Amino acid sequence: MYLKSRRTFLKGAAFTVAGAAIARGVFEVDAVAESVTDSKFTNTPASLSFYPDQSEWDSFKELDGSDWKRGGIERHGVRSASNPDGIQVNDYTIVPTVCSNCEAGCGLTAWVNTNEFKKGILTVRKYMGNPLHTGSRGRNCAKGYAVTSQMYDPDRIPFPIKRAPGSKRGEGKWVRVTWDEAMAAIGKKMHDTLAKGDEVSKKSIMYHVGRPNENGFGPRVPQSLGIDGYNSHTNICSAGAREGTIQWANDDRNSPDWANADLIFLQSSHAADAGHYFQQSAGLIADARKRGAKMVVIDPRMSNSAGMADLWIPTWPGTEAALYLYLVNRIVHEKNIDGKDLVHHEFVKEWVNWDRLMANKAYLQKMIGYGYISKMPKDDSYESFIEVLKELYAPYTKEFVVKECKLEGMEYKLDQLWDLFVPAGAKIASYLWRAGAIGHRGGWMNTRTGFLPLALVGAMRGDIGGVGMHHWHEISVAGKGDKATVAGKHPAKTDVWNELAWPPEYPISTYEMGYMLPQIMMDDEWHAKWTKRGLKIPKSMAVYVPRMHNPLWINPDGFRWIEALKREDKFELSFNLSPTWSETNWYCDYVLPVGLAGERNDQQSTPSKPEQRIEFRQAVLRVAAEKSGWKAKDPSRATLEAHMKFGLGEVWEESEFWPNLIFHYVDKDGSLGIRDYWASKKDPSRPVSVPEYFDAALSLLPRLKETATKMYKDEEYPVYSYIRDHGAWTEKTNVYKPQEEELEFDGTYYHAHGHKYSKDEVTKDKFGALWVKDGEFKKSIGVDINSELHEGFHTLSKKLEFFSEWLADEWKWPEYAIPIYPRDEKENDKMVHLVTQVHHKHMKADNEFALNTIYRLPYNIHTRSVNSKHLMEISQNHNPIWIYTKDAEKLGIKRGDAVKVQIEDTLSGIKSGYFVAMAVPTEATRPGVLACSHHAGRWKLQDSVKIPGFEHQLGVMSLGSPKVSMTNDGKKGTMTTTEGIKPHKAWQFKEYNRDLDFIWWDGLSGAWQNAVAPCHPDPIAGNHGWHQKVIITKATPNEKIGDISVDYEGNFKVYQAWRDQLTRPLNANDKLRRPYHIKRPVKPSQKAYRFEIKDV
Amino acid sequence: MNNDLKQQQIARINIYALLSRLTMNEVDEGLLKSIEEDENILSFFPTYAKWKKRDEYDRVGLIQQYLNVDFTNLFLLHLIPYESFYTREDQMMETGGDNPVQAIFNAFEFNVALDKARVMSADHIGIELEFMYELCKAELRALEADDMIMATQLSQLQYGFMKDHIVEWAPMYLLSVKNEAGTAFYFDLADFALEFILSDFEGLNQLKENEYKYTV
Repeated sequence: MYLKSRRTFLKGAAFTVAGAAIARGVFEVDAVAESVTDSKFTNTPASLSFYPDQSEWDSFKELDGSDWKRGGIERHGVRSASNPDGIQVNDYTIVPTVCSNCEAGCGLTAWVNTNEFKKGILTVRKYMGNPLHTGSRGRNCAKGYAVTSQMYDPDRIPFPIKRAPGSKRGEGKWVRVTWDEAMAAIGKKMHDTLAKGDEVSKKSIMYHVGRPNENGFGPRVPQSLGIDGYNSHTNICSAGAREGTIQWANDDRNSPDWANADLIFLQSSHAADAGHYFQQSAGLIADARKRGAKMVVIDPRMSNSAGMADLWIPTWPGTEAALYLYLVNRIVHEKNIDGKDLVHHEFVKEWVNWDRLMANKAYLQKMIGYGYISKMPKDDSYESFIEVLKELYAPYTKEFVVKECKLEGMEYKLDQLWDLFVPAGAKIASYLWRAGAIGHRGGWMNTRTGFLPLALVGAMRGDIGGVGMHHWHEISVAGKGDKATVAGKHPAKTDVWNELAWPPEYPISTYEMGYMLPQIMMDDEWHAKWTKRGLKIPKSMAVYVPRMHNPLWINPDGFRWIEALKREDKFELSFNLSPTWSETNWYCDYVLPVGLAGERNDQQSTPSKPEQRIEFRQAVLRVAAEKSGWKAKDPSRATLEAHMKFGLGEVWEESEFWPNLIFHYVDKDGSLGIRDYWASKKDPSRPVSVPEYFDAALSLLPRLKETATKMYKDEEYPVYSYIRDHGAWTEKTNVYKPQEEELEFDGTYYHAHGHKYSKDEVTKDKFGALWVKDGEFKKSIGVDINSELHEGFHTLSKKLEFFSEWLADEWKWPEYAIPIYPRDEKENDKMVHLVTQVHHKHMKADNEFALNTIYRLPYNIHTRSVNSKHLMEISQNHNPIWIYTKDAEKLGIKRGDAVKVQIEDTLSGIKSGYFVAMAVPTEATRPGVLACSHHAGRWKLQDSVKIPGFEHQLGVMSLGSPKVSMTNDGKKGTMTTTEGIKPHKAWQFKEYNRDLDFIWWDGLSGAWQNAVAPCHPDPIAGNHGWHQKVIITKATPNEKIGDISVDYEGNFKVYQAWRDQLTRPLNANDKLRRPYHIKRPVKPSQKAYRFEIKDV
Repeated sequence: MNNDLKQQQIARINIYALLSRLTMNEVDEGLLKSIEEDENILSFFPTYAKWKKRDEYDRVGLIQQYLNVDFTNLFLLHLIPYESFYTREDQMMETGGDNPVQAIFNAFEFNVALDKARVMSADHIGIELEFMYELCKAELRALEADDMIMATQLSQLQYGFMKDHIVEWAPMYLLSVKNEAGTAFYFDLADFALEFILSDFEGLNQLKENEYKYTV
């Protein structure tokens, strides 16, 4: 009815509110300056390019963004002495670095504004990607771009602090100390401990690394101290996946070629939503899909990946193995449309160790005993092996998998899966990690079985579009800067074995059992038991050093961590190398503030595609200052000096801290023999510097060295200079199937992995593996296949191991030495080690569920994101508990209801407490399975800390955590929130925090469910089974979202039940602590591996 | 100036102010109250006036659960309220100094506070409507001062700006808003804006054809 009468609009004159009161008033009048014609700047760039050419990075001039957008240069011209009102030109030094917010190690560039360098001010205006990083290709996720808000967090700890003398841990009383005062006290304690020189003292210092994000520097530290003291976070989130991969390939994990695959086969959302190495993987997966690749996601939860996949299969969590073996059943029995076998016989025959299985009659007899097969194979041939597979996997039918994975009504999805799987052939890329592999007891078998169909179709060959191995694509040289030191060599391996990290119940764990440290430290009975048998285990830790780690919060049974860390008789001295406030800091003796992505110096290597690449994280203010002519007084402390001089505060980092601590305080006279490993070769009167150390380490890469020495021929440290200016280097591309590389034999010597072996010392076994002596043990160096010598896989047989002979024989788990999964209820009960604690057989009532806890939130990192305001803003959803709509309906639960989530252990029957969460009914989780990520629920006891003599209060996580009150009477622990975020003004980094008034969230991001969860160590891989059986009820009016209640004693009993009922510990018949051939971070000497105890 | 002319100018000023405000940012509780309690304003929102959701929620609830969600969809996420998106062949937004609307603002010494407006560039519909509001205010002042030369120039400017810019693209955008709106409020707003813009342009055209002899 266009148009209305114009008269209609005359009513506008009668508005009771005048236009002036309504209009936003966004126009400001200002004068126009003369235009400047002789400028390189234009009103609008001809093309948009995120990154200038690298040659411009040392000085890249750009118009100030906000000013430019208000009119371009024709408005004001460019600022100069004669035109002070013109638009400011920022002179940036663009310094490449690497994100430190997850394992992906994506490239970043810090845009350091040097306009006010002469006034002693350098500021990072923004972090962007690094286009020279061939993995991340100039792109980043939300966490990458949030680095600026992390760097200039108003609650950044500005200097080292120490627990106030006379106060107890956890009281929150702190005093300021200098780095040297802290190092003097810590160094003396470490010196005195190491000076004892006995076995126990070599186990009494522990460096507990959270997210390492570097490749070898950290392990060099305890090794140089002569201790077995390295501990890590890695077990808790990945041991299950590692265990399965180690049994197949003796590799840490697999490494897919996403970009060239025809089928992206994902177990969970981890690879593409939020895990390793997700931003890079997601981009490569997107490239593949654009090319036509299909994507399958197997996940009880409809993640972002599942939502955009071609097929989502919501299996019951922990039963994925049944699905994989169903695929195997069809692969070995069916043919393709051309009538040909689906098994890639050439690959399987040559590269899978079927021959060892078929030759091992005793084991085949055991298989008959287990009911796996009915009779002995007719001979040792490959064809008979295929017949064994046919019988072994015949029970994994469609009917079976529908029942076991609870896919009733979704049978058609299995047909769709098959229709996607078969055409992809060997071009299937997968990353079996986290989710099914880590949430469950026996999760490792999900990886073990998951690789079997991929092996059978040839995808595990590691060829284009398939699945390679992690170490093929990883470069670890950060621990090898030895030539820059006085010692000039790598520190020797220690002769001791630390049972605190490697307890005898878990000899094949992958890796350190770091998350159960308080259970071990406080279990006097356990200590006495093993001491009586002859082990020498410390009763207390002299020095405990978490690094970039918040073990108290992230690990299960958090209240036990609190109690343990408070005990000065158990942890005599503790200091946290932490970039932010954390719950763990609160219970340490010192908090030593260390750097984030642009404030550290680390070599990292992330295998996100079939290439070998390194990236270098560096302290960007130091580098920008040095490029502008600044020089540190002490080259070994250049990063700390730069941070203090240019406004970041007394923030340091490990690659300068450890050399200084050891050189000046732990072994200042060199009497312990440690100092030389950290003294500079160039100037032995001081510790080694970052350029010296990393130039030596990175010079081990031949192509990099060649390129760098040509490009930087006038520089003292050319290789360091290259990486300083570029931030990343790709040493080798197209790294496919290296196992098929020829093993060189010159008639006299075999050349393998940089060593040569005389033919006299090499023996070949009947399966073709070539063996040499390795100290007191043996190792294989290659394999003869059809009279051709190959380097082989990393396993003892040098082939993929369908049959894990070592697991069956010396390591006590014969029934699980091949990919297997219980086929009926009887086996399900018998194979308790393999069956998830949240199996549907445990869910009886309508309100009993499996709780899926371990998916990551793409915008969160456990420790470091808590006070990043940008990440906090987008993560304020109270981490709801997802519940299937019909389940919710049945229980009368509506969106927003507070529900009480009671955890019950299905092994011991013990209820360990509850947390209260906000329910969100959704179709995006399968029936019977709840979802609530354990990555949220941060807390603090105080809003701020008063430091005597310092004028400002130090805020404590004031942008990301509510305040709580907490109780623990030794039997029951509770926590409840008392206050949300308070209005806050920044005393530091004000310019970056002008928006604090806009904070609308209360900080409650969910309940601290990790504290309620009991410690569930898988008896084989050692991972904590994260998922829980839970019973939900509506919360009472007195129970509010975020509350938790923990059965402190019950949790310990659950831990004991899992340990004592399920493990097969070492005994007097055992001779080794652990299989020598499988990985152990910071491997000690062969002597340390020897195990001698008496059974009592 | 006669009172009718004055009332007409005030009406134009108020309506441009209201439309620019509502297309630029989310409605707040105070403004919504003003709209609901003023029968003249409410008469431009006839569907909203009878909308049942108003009986179920208070203003805050209505804003948080419905109006802001709709605003996000219509102005931030799925529809693009920027002229350059509609007028450039490549459908890219021009956020730099070469934006022709920005050039006009520059010429008239207007600086758009983009951060205050919370928009990406100066050719946002809310900014363009607020520019009209500023011109109408100036025109009224000129008329009140009996400065007919200045008033004419300002009216010519309004005509030119409408013809070359607002009328070139805003109807297309507002029709999309009407089509996509999930609430009675934004449906009515789009209808109101569309009708008013076309009607006002017609008025400016008549004035031009009448050689700027101001009558009502």
